[in-house]
Amino acid sequence: MAFHLDYFLASLVSGLAYLPRTLLLVSLPLALGLLGGLVLAAFRVYRVPVLGRLTALGVSIYQGVPIVVALVIYNLLFMSLFNDVAAFFGVATTVAEVDIIWVGIFALALQEVTLMEESFRGAFYSVPAGQREAALACGLTELQALRRIIVPQLVPVAVPMLMNHVVGNIKNSSVVIAIGVAEVLTGASIPAARTYSFLESYVAAGLIYWALATAAEQLIGQWEIRPEARQSSWFWQVCARVRRRRTVTVAQQEKRGQVHAELEAYQKIL
Amino acid sequence: MLSLKHIRKSFDREEVLRDVSLQVRHGEVVSILGPSGSGKTTLLRCLDFLERADGGELTLDDLHVDLAHAKRRDVLAMRRRTAFVFQNYNLFANKTARENVMEGLVTARGVSPDEARKKAEEALAWVGLLDKAGEYPSRLSGGQQQRIGIARAVVLDPEVIFLDEPTSALDPELVGEVLNVIREVARRGIAMIIVTHEMAFAREVSHHVVFMEGGRVIEEGPPEQIFSQPREERTRTFLKRYLTDSNMYYI
Ligand SMILES: Nc1ncnc2c1ncn2[C@@H]1O[C@H](COP(=O)(O)OP(=O)(O)OP(=O)(O)O)[C@@H](O)[C@H]1O
Ligand SMILES: [Mg+2]
Repeated sequence: MAFHLDYFLASLVSGLAYLPRTLLLVSLPLALGLLGGLVLAAFRVYRVPVLGRLTALGVSIYQGVPIVVALVIYNLLFMSLFNDVAAFFGVATTVAEVDIIWVGIFALALQEVTLMEESFRGAFYSVPAGQREAALACGLTELQALRRIIVPQLVPVAVPMLMNHVVGNIKNSSVVIAIGVAEVLTGASIPAARTYSFLESYVAAGLIYWALATAAEQLIGQWEIRPEARQSSWFWQVCARVRRRRTVTVAQQEKRGQVHAELEAYQKIL
Repeated sequence: MLSLKHIRKSFDREEVLRDVSLQVRHGEVVSILGPSGSGKTTLLRCLDFLERADGGELTLDDLHVDLAHAKRRDVLAMRRRTAFVFQNYNLFANKTARENVMEGLVTARGVSPDEARKKAEEALAWVGLLDKAGEYPSRLSGGQQQRIGIARAVVLDPEVIFLDEPTSALDPELVGEVLNVIREVARRGIAMIIVTHEMAFAREVSHHVVFMEGGRVIEEGPPEQIFSQPREERTRTFLKRYLTDSNMYYI
């Protein structure tokens, strides 16, 4: 079987054109998963009445359902109910006008929330109880202690686990083709419909996913570095330089304004 | 000033505090002695609501609180008028020494960051650690961490500070520097309840000594009386064991 470089390149270009959609399918569920996972984990760790129990139940049920099955269920519900619901709220949009990518994002986000809840819960338990108690004894409220003391400490613990999620998520985002959402894999296969160069198409798609996963891994790894060790990392050096430049420009602007005002004052005197 | 009445607390049927009552006057240092498991830590934790007592009343000047049923507002009020120094320091691991001392001021008291920084640096200078202001706790010795723990408590200008065995996690050569700082706190006239096994220190620094055993106050009085002429047999046995264990650090 011959491997045609030109077909491969065509697939690569065609696949890359769909990269924004894959990025959306990865980043939005990720953001929702981070937020939702953290909140749900807090419900369980702090044994919030009702919500804690509900979370535990929901997560355990959801983890038993394969993502493809969930996707198809949501899609069927979406297809059959959207028009009625839209009409009920007086929205003129019909189901045919809505990009089905949102169903994919919804399914991936829910999956992400349940996975992250587990990771965050583990990370919560890694922060010693004394940290919370010290914060409360200093007069912080439970929520302030969470935000200022506990969450900042569990992030470095949760990051390695989250990193696996992100990489897994990038790879898994292609399951949405099960309900016909177009993304990188779809894009890379377009030339194959004409040329039958399926191998080239899939290798091209694989390459794009791999590059994306590697880049994500590199970036997230930077958050794992503890604050005291960040001086020796290129990423944080760049961040610090950007921040410094910004403060410098602010200072320069202030100085410029001051000089300007002084000049005006002089002109008045003259 | 601070008065505790009839404090009770059980853990799974095990009675840990059985009707403990105690008085602390303005600027007074009260030491609590007692064998392991007598409920000393639990008592302090109940006062700061880190543990919920089953019963008891607390009066801090005008603030009157039912320990078992206190609402959030009273809990917060009590915590904002007191401070706690922990056996294992519990400095915030994600914050520098300076930020540790600033945290309560900025977040709980709403002090502006600039003013909080100034106060924090004064407090750090006062415990002799201004040069470590930018360090994270993991890079400080136990003695330094505990001195920062005390600075973090004092900077809040509390009416009373609870200290739970502030030196017992320290290497012997680091105990002295921490005790010196606690002496300074006493000299400032801030009331303290100190749980300690440093007998010589308790005798020197306290105005009032309380001996607890089995969740009860067995005996209390001025340090000279408790250490020289204890009335209760159990106090005598306890002290004898401690004094012969050469647990005496004269610093
Ligand atoms: N969270 C808890 N759950 C169950 N039992 C507890 C808990 N905390 C303390 N206890 C029990 O309460 C009793 C008193 O404990 P406490 O820590 O108050 O004693 P202590 O006087 O401070 O002792 P030590 O001198 O060893 O610090 C002990 O028997 C202990 O096992
Ligand atoms: Mg104790």
